[in-house]
Amino acid sequence: MKRLILILGLLATLAALSLGFAQKSGGTLIAAWAQDPVSLDPQITSAYSSFQVLENVLDTLVTLDQQDKIVPSLATSWDVSSDGLTWTFHLRHDVKFSNGRPMTAQDVVYTYDRMLDPKTGSGNAYLLAGVKKVTAPDDYTVQFQLGAPNVALLGHLAVNKSVGIIAKESVQDGSIKTQPIGTGPFMITDFEPGTKVVLKKNPYYWQKGLPYLNEVDIRIIKDESVRQTALLSGDIDWAISVPPQSLDQLKNASGVVVDKTTAGAYWYIGVNLKNPYLKDPKVREAINYAINRKDITAAMTFGTGDPTQDPIPSSSAWAFNYAPYSYDPAKAKQLLSEAGYPDGFRMQIMPTTQYPESVRGAQVIQQELAQVGIKVTIKNLEWAQWLQEEGKGNYDTYVCSWNGLVDPDDYFYAQQKTGEVFNFTGYSNPKVDQLLTEGRKTQGFDARKAIYKQVNKMVVDDAPYIYMYNPANINAYRSYVKGYAARPDQAVNFTKTWLDK
Amino acid sequence: MSLRYLLQRLGTLLLVLFGVSVLTFSIMPLVPGSPARVTLGVQATDASVAALEHQMGLDRPLPVQYWSWLSGIVLHGDFGTSLISGKPITEQVARRLPATLVLALAALLIGLLIALPSGIVSALKPGSARDLGVSVMSQIGVSIPDFWLGILLILVFAQALHWLPSNGYAPLSQGLGDYLKHIILPALTAGVISGSIMARFVRSAMLEVLGNDYVRTARAKGLGARRVIAKHVLRNAAITVVTIIGLQMATLLSSIVVVEIIFSWPGLGSMALNATLQRDYPVLQASVLLFATSFAVINLLTDLSYVLLDPSLEYA
Repeated sequence: MKRLILILGLLATLAALSLGFAQKSGGTLIAAWAQDPVSLDPQITSAYSSFQVLENVLDTLVTLDQQDKIVPSLATSWDVSSDGLTWTFHLRHDVKFSNGRPMTAQDVVYTYDRMLDPKTGSGNAYLLAGVKKVTAPDDYTVQFQLGAPNVALLGHLAVNKSVGIIAKESVQDGSIKTQPIGTGPFMITDFEPGTKVVLKKNPYYWQKGLPYLNEVDIRIIKDESVRQTALLSGDIDWAISVPPQSLDQLKNASGVVVDKTTAGAYWYIGVNLKNPYLKDPKVREAINYAINRKDITAAMTFGTGDPTQDPIPSSSAWAFNYAPYSYDPAKAKQLLSEAGYPDGFRMQIMPTTQYPESVRGAQVIQQELAQVGIKVTIKNLEWAQWLQEEGKGNYDTYVCSWNGLVDPDDYFYAQQKTGEVFNFTGYSNPKVDQLLTEGRKTQGFDARKAIYKQVNKMVVDDAPYIYMYNPANINAYRSYVKGYAARPDQAVNFTKTWLDK
Repeated sequence: MSLRYLLQRLGTLLLVLFGVSVLTFSIMPLVPGSPARVTLGVQATDASVAALEHQMGLDRPLPVQYWSWLSGIVLHGDFGTSLISGKPITEQVARRLPATLVLALAALLIGLLIALPSGIVSALKPGSARDLGVSVMSQIGVSIPDFWLGILLILVFAQALHWLPSNGYAPLSQGLGDYLKHIILPALTAGVISGSIMARFVRSAMLEVLGNDYVRTARAKGLGARRVIAKHVLRNAAITVVTIIGLQMATLLSSIVVVEIIFSWPGLGSMALNATLQRDYPVLQASVLLFATSFAVINLLTDLSYVLLDPSLEYA
């Protein structure tokens, strides 16, 4: 017995040692991105390719863990006044920017003042909606004064690095677009648009002993088959995405890890409610019955996505799994007749070359709608033109996605509330508006879930968006890359990543 | 060749460049999409688009924008900064130009190594098996899209054989071996295709000269085949061949844009394509000017080389 205890003790010590000392410091990770980061100014860009770089460069007051739970980061704790109008954050005392200057509450105030200033032109300022003033009562305390209570604010301060704290030095010298200075584990030392971004270890990083890597070389490899080959041949260590059609091949390849998780994101058909046909709810209902989500998901993701009729993925705690429709072309035809279009009508669908899956999706939708008499023309545009047409409402329907969503408010508020910033469809339902406002005021998971359950049902029934599927976030890397995991919020974080070679 | 002729040509070049710049400047805003919207992505509100366009100076009248751009170049030699990344364009060009030049020259070299021997060999015995062989090969080379050939080469030499890197560029500071290894596949992609095209021109230029009386005379007076070809045929075919190389450079440069994208090569081609997709007007403008200049310079060099090849030509 004694001997057994001794052996167990030895084993435990060995295990502890191997855990404690296993991480090797140093080395360069060569990572491949699929899209060029468009501007690295966190407050201006909305490109995921930019946020995925900035994830490693900036810190936020609070952040999300692997399970999308909100946890402390630059702020150690926070409290809300009883009227919900004042949020107080208590900051860490040991944080420095990568240029060596200590970070204080003044920097937080500077960051959010710049974001709220209309002259900045921040497309992300909606995350601070309702914030009237940000102040610093002392060097390590920050207060947000709100015009109306907003429970979602905490989630918004964590959602991605658009709300990361920046040093004003990089704004003043104009380097914010290429080399924003933050307090994160890495700092940007080189950015060559279209080609590469180089990240070096931040010597002043506040989490002692981290990051393990000395450097991350980010290469932009747009062609998915080249990215895959580069990974298989070992030219790169890590790839942000791989062609979904070759997942099986990659899974069987030795020395490669395919890391897949359901993303807090959805792909949908956006419907222009000013269109004379599409403004009729019966027509939108007919489209919901006419499309086969399983086929569309197969075509767009090669089976890696999960077909859905509402936006929140079933892996989320906020999932509702509301699915009133079925694939039923006969019913769709009947609904079209009831709406007064027994012979269907003509409309356009607008995918973009930027996301090849949107083009594949549009082709399937075209065929399926043809079967119920709706004649669809595909208007496939390159990204810059697509953004303009979508932004100005020059479309009948479009195919797109929303990414990096956490709180149910992220899924609905800015997209579906009347007149909100990203309500491009023209959707307006006073009951939905009222519930969304209420959702921001209400505390407690159950109470909020009850509210968003109603919102979810109404939006799916009214169908300004026709939801298609929740995509998976799939990263692939060499098996010697340790301490990395694909995340539902699609963030790419190399803080604890190390190379076992 | 007189100095006057050279100055005249340079004067024309400047006029052409001016015309090109006015043309691109007036066409660009007509293309739908704006750099402000590209920067903001899907999360663009009208207010933020307007604020960014103001920061970028795009709300000024077009002639004012043109003048500030032109005066920057003429007075300060400065191409301005990228609207998207905020990087100085002159610095970007200086970094990327050598990569593109090296790639273009390596591709041209490969192209010539393919075109000259195969063109000559097939012209010497038209209708023979080897002529047919060259025709078939060059037809394949001409028909293959460059992006497809690039990926095929990557699959074979990088993924299957592990001989060469699949993408990227290694600066000379990393060692000559690494530098050359990275050039081979992209240069081969562009070179094979342009070599196939040139081979057909070399063949027909050779055939044309071979049919001339003086070749028959040279043969009749008993000169060996080798001397006839070296002294009479090649020399006279050279003018046509040089013209073709000059013209071919245009095709080569455009396929280099594609090759740079496939291989993530940090050159001017990938810069130009990115600028187009992102509506980064000043970067696009600079790229167009650079490409126009290089075409004009190549044309000039082609013309000038005629004199060296055929002293009977003289420019006044």
